[in-house]
Amino acid sequence: MVSTALAITLGGIWGPALLTVGAVLLPAALAGIAGRLLRTALLLTLPIAISVLVINLFFYPAGREILFAIGPVRATSEGLAFALETLARIGAISGAITLFYLTTPAGDLVLDLERRGVSPRIAFVVLAAVQTVPALVERAVAITAAQRARGLDTEGSLWRRLRGVLPLAGPVLLGSITEVEERTMALEARGFTRPGRRTLLWHPPDSSRQAAARWLLVAAIPLALVARASGWLGWLG
Amino acid sequence: MDSARWTRAGIGLAAGAVLGIGLYAIGQAWPMAAAVGFIAAHMVYAVVTRSQTGEWGPLRVSAGLVAFAAATYVGIVAFGNFGDPNAVDPNTYANTKAANSWALILTVAMVIGVVVTYGLELIQTGRLASLSGQFGTRTYLLMAVGIGVNVILGQAVASALKIPIYLDSIGTILVGVLCGPIAGAITGGLGNILWSYVIPPPFQYQPAAAFAITAVAIGVIAGLLGRAGFLRPRPNRSTGELLAGGAVAVALVGGLAWAASQAYTKIFETEISLFPDPANVDAIFVVLGWLALGLVVLAVLGLFALLLVRRDLTAAYVVVAGVLTGIVAALISAPIAAGVFGGVTASGTDFLVAAFRQAGLDVEAATTGQGLISDPIDKVTTFFTVYLILAALATRFKARFPQGEMVIEEASA
Amino acid sequence: MLTFELVTYRYAGAARPSLQDVSLVIGSGEVVGLVGASEAGKTTLCLVAAGLAPRTVRGTLKGRILIDGTDVAPLTIHELAGQVGIAFANPATQLSGVAGTVYEEVAFGPMNLGFSRSEVIDRTEAALGALKISDLAEREPALLSGGQQQLVAMSGLLALRPAHLVLDEPTAQLDPAGTRLVAEALARLALDGASILVAEQKTDLLASICDRVVALDAGRVALDGPAFEVLGDARLAELGVAAPASVRLRSLAGAAGPGPEALAHLDGALAMEATA
Repeated sequence: MVSTALAITLGGIWGPALLTVGAVLLPAALAGIAGRLLRTALLLTLPIAISVLVINLFFYPAGREILFAIGPVRATSEGLAFALETLARIGAISGAITLFYLTTPAGDLVLDLERRGVSPRIAFVVLAAVQTVPALVERAVAITAAQRARGLDTEGSLWRRLRGVLPLAGPVLLGSITEVEERTMALEARGFTRPGRRTLLWHPPDSSRQAAARWLLVAAIPLALVARASGWLGWLG
Repeated sequence: MDSARWTRAGIGLAAGAVLGIGLYAIGQAWPMAAAVGFIAAHMVYAVVTRSQTGEWGPLRVSAGLVAFAAATYVGIVAFGNFGDPNAVDPNTYANTKAANSWALILTVAMVIGVVVTYGLELIQTGRLASLSGQFGTRTYLLMAVGIGVNVILGQAVASALKIPIYLDSIGTILVGVLCGPIAGAITGGLGNILWSYVIPPPFQYQPAAAFAITAVAIGVIAGLLGRAGFLRPRPNRSTGELLAGGAVAVALVGGLAWAASQAYTKIFETEISLFPDPANVDAIFVVLGWLALGLVVLAVLGLFALLLVRRDLTAAYVVVAGVLTGIVAALISAPIAAGVFGGVTASGTDFLVAAFRQAGLDVEAATTGQGLISDPIDKVTTFFTVYLILAALATRFKARFPQGEMVIEEASA
Repeated sequence: MLTFELVTYRYAGAARPSLQDVSLVIGSGEVVGLVGASEAGKTTLCLVAAGLAPRTVRGTLKGRILIDGTDVAPLTIHELAGQVGIAFANPATQLSGVAGTVYEEVAFGPMNLGFSRSEVIDRTEAALGALKISDLAEREPALLSGGQQQLVAMSGLLALRPAHLVLDEPTAQLDPAGTRLVAEALARLALDGASILVAEQKTDLLASICDRVVALDAGRVALDGPAFEVLGDARLAELGVAAPASVRLRSLAGAAGPGPEALAHLDGALAMEATA
């Protein structure tokens, strides 16, 4: 599933939106996660979708045909068309990304990439970065709580809140940066700098059918590019 | 910076400025004139450095820049129609084809530039010391922290604040300055890809990957500026120097801030409200949003504190670094924002895009205008934050990073 | 056997050396405690012993360090990883930060060193068993308590099967039960012939596990001798080190106190209390 989803995503950026949505929703339905996929993708794209709709509907400079007007702003049908086109593209990208992360834990992805020859160092950076995010949030929350306990203000007026949050910036950012020194020593003491590949204990399963599907999708990318450049796809492109 | 190096930099800048202004005067487009002028300035500096000190490093970087510019130019001529109003789709006003090829051209050109720089080193010295020297356990760990900081602050700003900046490159610039251009580039590019594809919600931001190429450029520029000693503390300078530096800084920052507020009030005719309705926003983003806003305020206060209290001339360097990085970032990302997302990325920058479009600009011009306001402010803030972070770190700690010696005050200042 | 011959170490950029002319021999099976005020050079000696200084933390080293009679100067840090293991006080920074489970965390070192898959599994399971944390194997390291994380970090160290061990305040985060597990593991390694150096503030703990104690002062060896002698030495307080509770009790009891045998018994009882 790992790279299948990745390839779908790559294809989705350039490929016709309709086709891509099919290639995302169908596997998701087969995997029995279509509901979760739709919910998550909708949740994630809703803010951007609303912005796209509002901005293009009302502020589309080439808009001539007026649908309706609210005060000085006029909604135009050209704006609506452009908004829908953009939305289809964003929806396809979002669906593919959501399918990818719903089916692929970060650890599995990195392990698979490392097995396929990606540098163990880059694999390390990816995994460490993914784990840094919750660690930093936890640190921010813990320090906020501690500062509230010490009577610092995180509610109230703008200035009062800023005064409360400024002491946060230091510990959250600096703490994680200064830890780099100790972590460097601990890692090097555990053989991190040894050149060459390291032993991997297991790897995610990968069937020949998955591999075939992956290559098919990768092959579809240049086809889609050529087709689109030549205008052969017509209204789909 | 020693005076000999100052002189070399001055000669280079003067030559570049003359060439750039000359090109503009005879009718070249200003991005073209600026790019040629900048590259010429660097090349003159590098040639003079080579003849005075025998250092090949700057000259190799210069060759890389020329290769990058040449590849970009060839790409534009071969693919396309940037700046040609006839290429813009009359129905959508979007130059989608151009936007897609723009990212592709820049990626290829950057790869060519990097290969030329390091290829020359490999041919000349038989080794890649300046590349492998950027990496080590410390660098890998700082890269991971940098990506995390990018994602957290970037996401907080995008989802909780209504200010037209991003604050998603603090980690990229920190790694670039401390470890080198390629380390910075990987932090930026990899970080943006992870931000879209791997980091789980609520910290996932799907538009990020499309802007990976921008983040790569930011990392490279930060690395080169760091190597040139831009973020070296320069405390206790004379009042004259400080006034000159402060004037440049205030003029640049003030002008940009004024333009942004004009655009805002023009479209909404209200005061700038920093936050959307808090009820609609995840609680953690409110906390992090305030953290991000705090950094912005800290950066502005920092400028004055540096100039007035510490009499630190680096404040001016920080502004110049931020504006330079910001303009490059804006020019790279505007076509992407226009082509892939129709100018809307669900963040505080959207209102600026709306303002420009209301003013009758097409989507690409609107995103360019938005970027040219947002990015320099954003990058100045970011460089300031990075400078403050560096100031808070122990000298011994900084010195252990590959470019750490360049962010430490010179012994005999 | 770990040997230091006239070792002087100065960190890059530092004005004066952190260690000066330190000569020490830690014999096979010997557990040596290291005490001293902060900045006395305890951590530096640990880093130098493990080879991290000057390889990872830049600085200038004079003198020689020998492992079982062989000079370590030509060895890289990953070649040293299997020879001298080092543990630090802060568990959070010792974890790799990339492992999803405790099992993978403990296996991280052996995986790096490129052992065969079965060897990695063997070492990991043995190391988990040694500190009795096999039941944590499937847990996420980031979600464990500080004490549990420290045991995991220590397991990760044991999985490297280092011939010798250096511990820089390893029990700062541990509860008495965890401390006892670590002390037992150290005792077993010492029986197998490892040389062990333990820098520690808790002199009570040192009294119970060390044969010998070395006190550092401003980068030089100030006291060196059998644990009961050094820890009972009146000069310890001048060096900024708190004596074990048994010694303080004894000085309170004064000259009219119980005889030497009773005191030895008291030492043992207090040490039990410290580790229990």
